[in-house]
Amino acid sequence: MIKGTNARRALLLVLVVGVLVSGQFAVPGFANGGQLGNQVKIAAFLGLFGLCQTIAMMSGGQGLDLSIGATATLGGILGAAVIGPGPAGLLPAFATALACGAIVGLVNGGGITLFRVPPLVMTLATASLIDGGLIVWTSVMQANTAATPTLVALTGGSVAGLPRLSVLWILVAGVVWYLIERSAWGRGLMATGANPDAAYLSGARVRLIRIAAYVISASIASLTGVLLVGYAGQAFLGLGGSYLLTSVVVAVIGGVSLAGGRGDYIAVVIAALFLTVLTSLLTALQIEEAGRQCIFGATLLAFLAINGLPGRVGRLRTRRMHGGG
Amino acid sequence: MKMHLALPRPVRATARPERRVRQRLAAACPASAVPAVVMLLAVVACNAWLQPDFFSAESLGSLLQNAAPVLLVCMAQAIIVLVGELDLSVGAGISLVNCLLAGLPARAGLGTGTTCAVALAAALVAGLCNGFLVGYLRQSALVCTFATGAILFGIALTVMPQPGGAVPEVLGTLYAQRLGPVPLAAVPLVLAALLWIGLQRHRLGRRLIATGSNADAALKSGIDIRVVKLLAYGIAWLLVFASAACISAETASGDARLGLSYTLNSVAAVVIGGISLAGGRGSMIGAACGGLVLVLIGNVVYFAGIPSNYQEVFKGAVIVLALGFTFVGSRRPA
Repeated sequence: MIKGTNARRALLLVLVVGVLVSGQFAVPGFANGGQLGNQVKIAAFLGLFGLCQTIAMMSGGQGLDLSIGATATLGGILGAAVIGPGPAGLLPAFATALACGAIVGLVNGGGITLFRVPPLVMTLATASLIDGGLIVWTSVMQANTAATPTLVALTGGSVAGLPRLSVLWILVAGVVWYLIERSAWGRGLMATGANPDAAYLSGARVRLIRIAAYVISASIASLTGVLLVGYAGQAFLGLGGSYLLTSVVVAVIGGVSLAGGRGDYIAVVIAALFLTVLTSLLTALQIEEAGRQCIFGATLLAFLAINGLPGRVGRLRTRRMHGGG
Repeated sequence: MKMHLALPRPVRATARPERRVRQRLAAACPASAVPAVVMLLAVVACNAWLQPDFFSAESLGSLLQNAAPVLLVCMAQAIIVLVGELDLSVGAGISLVNCLLAGLPARAGLGTGTTCAVALAAALVAGLCNGFLVGYLRQSALVCTFATGAILFGIALTVMPQPGGAVPEVLGTLYAQRLGPVPLAAVPLVLAALLWIGLQRHRLGRRLIATGSNADAALKSGIDIRVVKLLAYGIAWLLVFASAACISAETASGDARLGLSYTLNSVAAVVIGGISLAGGRGSMIGAACGGLVLVLIGNVVYFAGIPSNYQEVFKGAVIVLALGFTFVGSRRPA
């Protein structure tokens, strides 16, 4: 097994480089500058959704947020509906998306902590409600769905050679890294995830911390939805749906434990890069969806094997799963 | 309350007659299943009100044909959840069996019997793989069945990249046949029920519940929980195969995306049926009622003439309500 976070980061980086190099050999031009910039842009979305999943999973109790796809679509569609021209017009869009995300997160977190619904079930239920509601919204309301030039520029342009989106991603990643590693809330989140009873007894407000985790997860998903509108040029049903499953894959490959309390966002970031370059390599090699699905599944299984081989760690984990609520 | 499924309830010497009646009732419909039963009655009432000939043999028969695959896959999920695990690959498994049944006769020139045997073997291998990963390698069921689900879906897509093909006609004609008023679709259901009843009386059934409710305690009392989990997955995937065979008999063609929605529906049904996702607590009756509720909600939405735009949100709302009902009603620790 991999000891420590550095080893995992290194392994993932080696994999990213390995895929890029073999891609360059198989399909010349695969790893040139323009391509790389594009890859980073795509990886930014995956990384942001992976971030949502990371926070939800770290909060423990088999934490998981399967509503991020629907929430992103919600944020994107409602954000596009209120977007105005120019840079000032972005404000209502992002504010609306943030509000939507906060509400969805409150519903998720409330259901999970107060009514003790398992996260898997709770977030799926909200996702089906949001999806259903959006079908009604798009058929009844004749709202704007197109992205404004400013929004397109925000997601498409570049600053000093770097895609703007990746700068944004690095900023968000930095803030989240600080929150998780350095803030009181982050320590509370880790403690809650690792052992909710012990955290509660030592004074952490376990429920509040968990609700906050789901609110942050849904808010980031919703805001990313607006960015997705800029990237795709238009808001549509199913905008964020394709990122749901990959977000789980990225978090697991990045070493976030479903039992909670463990996770390293830097590794998740590299995992997002890895999955993105792997996907584009498979696409460049003209491997059909069938093959891609199999390779994703196999990759996930391989990393699961790395995450915890049977032994001391495995035993500890099962015990925690049965004991922790 | 905890082990009403498998262990005989202790009967006190002082038990009065009415208490014995209550115990019988509790054995038939355990407390955890009560919300699901109440919901089922409500949905049936709604359905009967909206569809005047609901109780005719014709409509009940076709309902049974629609419900049989859902009930079977819900039972499969229930067995796995009772042992304390989860399976997010049942939907992909259904797709795979469906694609094999529809694709093999044309692509590999196999006969009906061989096709069915290959499909059954594929389902069993998939189930045992899951069971091995979860039981022997102690992987998180959620993530590793998610991964195997992706692989199964990939294989199904390889067998049948485009929807199409033809399921052997024998299956379809058999499935539509009726013995008097009872459609043959009831046969797999009855077999599954018998399998579960037999299991409860057998040592394995008791070990299954014991493993689900407290794996450490089960381990320390000499149960090999790895084998129990492996077998639970194996048995469940027999039911997954049966479910897929029923679906294939009905649709008569193959589609790799056909089964995907069944995964989440089966989990929802199990939860509505009052089975704890932590394992060991709940009843098969509850799971069956939960599955029927989901099927009948679809019927209600259709017969109430709700515009198709609103059907999704309506279904979602009913499921959320059902969940709220289940969890507020029980208030058990998660």
